[in-house]
Amino acid sequence: MESLLQGRGAVRKRLLFFILLGWALLIVGDRVSNVRLFQGAEIAMFTIALASIVLLTGYSGQVSLGSGAIMAVGGYAAALTITNLQTPIWFAFLMAVLVSATFGAVLGAAAARLSGPYLAGTTLALAVGVPALANQFNFLGGEQGIFFDVGFPPERFGSDFSQDKWFFWISSFLALVSIFITSNILKSRFGRTWQAIRANSLAAELAGIHANRMKILAFTLSSALAGLAGAVLGMNLSLVAPGAYPLSLSFALVTGAVLAGISSLPGVMLGAVILVAIPEIADLVAGGLGDSEKVTTHLPGLIVSVLLIISVIFTPNGPGENIRRILHKKSAH
Amino acid sequence: MQSIIETLLIGLSNGAVYALISLALVLVWRSTRVVNFAQAGQAMIATYVGFEIASRSQVFWLAVLFAIVAGALIGAGVDYFFMRVLFKHATEGPAAVVAPVIATLGLLGVIRAVVGLIWSSEYRLIEPPVSRNGYTIGETTIPFSPLNTLIIVTVCIVLIVISIIFRRTNLGLALRASAYAPEIAQLAGVRTAQTRTIGWAIAGGIGGIAGMLVSSENYLSPYSLDLLLVFGFIAAVIGGLESMVGAVVGALLLGVLLSLVLNVFGTSATFTSAFLILILVLLFKPDGIVASRKGRRA
Repeated sequence: MESLLQGRGAVRKRLLFFILLGWALLIVGDRVSNVRLFQGAEIAMFTIALASIVLLTGYSGQVSLGSGAIMAVGGYAAALTITNLQTPIWFAFLMAVLVSATFGAVLGAAAARLSGPYLAGTTLALAVGVPALANQFNFLGGEQGIFFDVGFPPERFGSDFSQDKWFFWISSFLALVSIFITSNILKSRFGRTWQAIRANSLAAELAGIHANRMKILAFTLSSALAGLAGAVLGMNLSLVAPGAYPLSLSFALVTGAVLAGISSLPGVMLGAVILVAIPEIADLVAGGLGDSEKVTTHLPGLIVSVLLIISVIFTPNGPGENIRRILHKKSAH
Repeated sequence: MQSIIETLLIGLSNGAVYALISLALVLVWRSTRVVNFAQAGQAMIATYVGFEIASRSQVFWLAVLFAIVAGALIGAGVDYFFMRVLFKHATEGPAAVVAPVIATLGLLGVIRAVVGLIWSSEYRLIEPPVSRNGYTIGETTIPFSPLNTLIIVTVCIVLIVISIIFRRTNLGLALRASAYAPEIAQLAGVRTAQTRTIGWAIAGGIGGIAGMLVSSENYLSPYSLDLLLVFGFIAAVIGGLESMVGAVVGALLLGVLLSLVLNVFGTSATFTSAFLILILVLLFKPDGIVASRKGRRA
């Protein structure tokens, strides 16, 4: 199996890189304030969520506008597990991954038959409807949502180990692990197969690829990632509620993915940083404009959407592609 | 428990509004091959324009007129300044297929934010010319109100006007021709690009009416039309996304079905069953219930 996937050396090198990255994060995490740690945890969460979009849209070519809905599924699964069963933290995250993957597999079976606009509309319907469902069922806690309490950091870390740092550690660890796994999958036979389906599904089928089966697999894996991201989001907020997974979250994720280059996995961290930076920038601007409640609520959405439009018109395949093209032109002359 | 006839009537009234949005979506889809997710956003701006006129002049129909004009102008503007630019740039690479969808989504986001910045997230209500309270028969009051009657009548008039435009006028012929066979239409002297912009304007105007009708029944806020968009899309898919008749039939069917579900299972089941209907149609009748000659081309 290993030789079928790719060379062992490449995987080892990547593993080493991720371990170094994790170590660097550990050092940085000791030196910054709690606000920055919280934002770091947010970046880690967005990184996982964007990776799920890169896998689904960038590689297998299926558009999903419903990432927020699947994140909600993961978040509620984790919160319900930890609240009702008092399980360890890792088990709650595992449940988030499993439940959302199952959800994604069912959805993917329907989605694999749909082309562009049908799939986009169906997933948009999900993004509008699923968070609202929480209002309808008592055990989901309604508008207030349910608590998601992972407890205090273990005592062996010392008494000055803050809750924010604990969240940052968990989020970063999960992000590193999931990006490592995702990058290996995308570099493997599966990644190439998805690219073949996206480029020309008929030709791919003729080459012996089960296009539908592979699309469902992509949807399942992508949902697993989104569900994990949703659980991390819930943990950071200590709460899962419909308001935590609004339609604008799905919009923001699509924006982040397009901004970073929809088929580039290394870009997702950049996209995640931008998504976390936008509300900060919006706050600064809003402060300059007199700090009214109207401006602070709606300005981030405006910035996100304008960025999305600009990038989809001028750099639809990510800024990397445009830079490459410019360099290519220069060297040709 | 309402009687079956009341449930059907309420369903028809809701379905009539869905029909307008799904008609707008189908019009744009046929001419441009884009499901315009910004349709709800465009309708929202038009409705806020209508709201301003209604609250100043207190004349409902004047407000509707302004909403139609605003919706049409916005629709034409979106096609002329936005879609044309988009189709010039995003033509190749892995994102080309998804670019139009994502772009209309971005537009929806911009509109929601701008509307929020101008009018804030407060709930508004447009006063309709007739009562929102149900008719009283004998001693019982039924949920079906004069406003529902007004909605159904208005939508009927709109549908008649639209079908006259499409069947009896040169403009309608040009619209149909450039949707079904753009190249042949061009050879026959139809200015397809301009015709497309007019199509977007008509869709925008219809959206404006839909927004006004919905917002005189329920509250208006920057997010209030999201669900209308989803139901309009589901209705359009039931009708096959290609056919205007299909869009209307699909919408009325969806309205009645959801009204029945609401009556039997309560509000919690409405969205779930709408979604279920969408999935079932997509899986078992992907060309819609009104078979079009070509089927879907995307």
